[in-house]
Amino acid sequence: MGKIMLEVKDLNTKYITREKEDVYAVNNVSLKVEEGKSLGVAGESGCGKSTLALSLMGYYFPPLHYMSGDVIIDGKNISGMSPDLVRKTVLGEEIAYIPQAAMNALNPTKKIIRFIEDVIRAHEPKATKKDIRDLATERFQKLGLPPDVLDRYSVELSGGMKQRTVIAVSTILSPKVLIADEPSSALDVTSQKMVIKMLRDMMETGFIKSMVFITHELPLLYNVTDDIMVMYAGQIVEQGSAKEMVFDPVHPYSKGLMGSIIVPEEGIRGKKLDAIPGTPPNLKHPPAGCRFAPRCKYATEECRAGYIPTRVFAESRMMRCRLTEDQLREVYANE
Amino acid sequence: MKGYKKYFRKRIVWYLITLVIAVILNFMLPRLMPGDPVAAITANSAAGLTDRTAAQQIYDEYAEAFGLDKPVYQQFFIWVGKLFTGDLGVSFINYPRTVSDMIGSAVWWTIGLQLPAILTGWIIGNLLGALAAYKGKFIDKGLMPASMFISGFPAFGLATILIFIFVVKLKVAPAGGGYSFDLLPSFSWRFISSVFVHYQLPFWSIVLTLIGGQAIGMRSMSIYELNADYVKYSRFLGVEDRKIVGYVFHNAMLPQVTGLALSMGTMIGGALVAEIVFSYPGLGYTLVRAITGQDYPVISGCTLIITVMVLIANLALEIIYGFIDPRVKAAQVE
Repeated sequence: MGKIMLEVKDLNTKYITREKEDVYAVNNVSLKVEEGKSLGVAGESGCGKSTLALSLMGYYFPPLHYMSGDVIIDGKNISGMSPDLVRKTVLGEEIAYIPQAAMNALNPTKKIIRFIEDVIRAHEPKATKKDIRDLATERFQKLGLPPDVLDRYSVELSGGMKQRTVIAVSTILSPKVLIADEPSSALDVTSQKMVIKMLRDMMETGFIKSMVFITHELPLLYNVTDDIMVMYAGQIVEQGSAKEMVFDPVHPYSKGLMGSIIVPEEGIRGKKLDAIPGTPPNLKHPPAGCRFAPRCKYATEECRAGYIPTRVFAESRMMRCRLTEDQLREVYANE
Repeated sequence: MKGYKKYFRKRIVWYLITLVIAVILNFMLPRLMPGDPVAAITANSAAGLTDRTAAQQIYDEYAEAFGLDKPVYQQFFIWVGKLFTGDLGVSFINYPRTVSDMIGSAVWWTIGLQLPAILTGWIIGNLLGALAAYKGKFIDKGLMPASMFISGFPAFGLATILIFIFVVKLKVAPAGGGYSFDLLPSFSWRFISSVFVHYQLPFWSIVLTLIGGQAIGMRSMSIYELNADYVKYSRFLGVEDRKIVGYVFHNAMLPQVTGLALSMGTMIGGALVAEIVFSYPGLGYTLVRAITGQDYPVISGCTLIITVMVLIANLALEIIYGFIDPRVKAAQVE
């Protein structure tokens, strides 16, 4: 077992709305990512995937607030640290972030190199312009990006190039954990492939030591990550290896999610597409008991009664359901 | 860089076309006013004369001296022809003083007053708006509405209020003029301090009318920029707050520069009114006296100078804009 790069224990965070209502977006999430490994986080829109990404960085802005739990990066617990210390010593250096909307992630009126200077100097105030340029040029070359991008403005770059530049800038300080929040969802397939290749290369060369990859595109996760975690309504519903999760999901929600993937095949036109009925619940008032129960076709009164803890099964897998693995498999078999 | 020059060549051609149209209007409009300036001047000089032919002779002489005996289109071409030599004609009411001489002494008062005042108002307004967006609380709830309220006054109204407070009640400032009546322009300490004291009320009345409008625009632009993706991204890479504030301020300011260029004409118009209220010896004051006396050449001369100033200010801002916003520069080069 490798060194644990990112460990999260019972993390709880919430949004406080303008009306002073609490929205419990991340609920008792625990996870571990080892060195050289990557974890995929899947789920529908509004399941708390992006909020989890923001919560992992230990840097909270209203309306997001920390409640309880620990985020430990390479043995260092960042949850109790002051925001300013987190900014100086953690962000960018220990944990880096690739935003969902990389299209607008770069300041339109600053050259890329000027922004890299600001990023590096935030952590190493004494770094000279020349050192920074040398480092950036070398890094860009290694990642297969033309170094003349450094002297351009983001408006001059194509979408795919912008995304890859953002990835290169985010990882310029070789962080231990990279959090990629849907880094490829707005790209065409070719650019998507380049982004994925780049992320893999960075893992291999050690520019990043581990990765949390958030996406709603499940086939992509299978290609990119070692493990997959499925989230629903701010909670983990099932976790396992990528292969198990894609080909053998057990929890009704994961199963529904995998069943909703549209694969191009003969006769798909006109065929009724499988989808999970309904939408994720409003987390201002999460349903009591199993949060998925209102949409689950196997739900009973018992499911709605009380809190459902996660349970470990098949040695390394984990699931949050009242029924056991065997019971679920039996239910599916009788359908 | 080549495309950039080409762009500005094109722009300058447009500015020249604007100038030509402005020159025609500047010539025509004063002359369309009802009334006969020569008759008024003749009536003055011929006061007490009973001889009709003598009065008629004075009238003809003045009309000839002013060039008003010729048809209007001929007058226009003579005027334009003289423009190229820098001759703006002779004032009717201050005959034989030349228009260039009158404007030459007035224009520096106007530039000296308006350029610093407009820039100060613009900068204070933008800082206030950015602070209101970033800090909120007192600035947003107290200072912003107050500056909005003050800017709601027209320039002349605010000028009158300032005169009432500082001249009539507090008796700390002079009521008007560019310097004390008992002084002659010189490089003495007394004269300069007198100019400084007379400068304050017109200066602040212009500044105060500008702040509110600028602040409200900057406030909403800053709020918009603060929520931009690049701000979030920069924060999550640990970039220092003051750097991020710098990004936001720079990007939020860009539309404000456009706004400055667009409203330059209106601002100068408003500021001219302030000059009049304070009898400030600038273009506004000269222009009003020329209008009441139907002094065509002076009116045309003043409006021409104002037009040229606005056009130059716009061109300068457009050039600056290309440097501060790469997106605009990219569009300019295309």
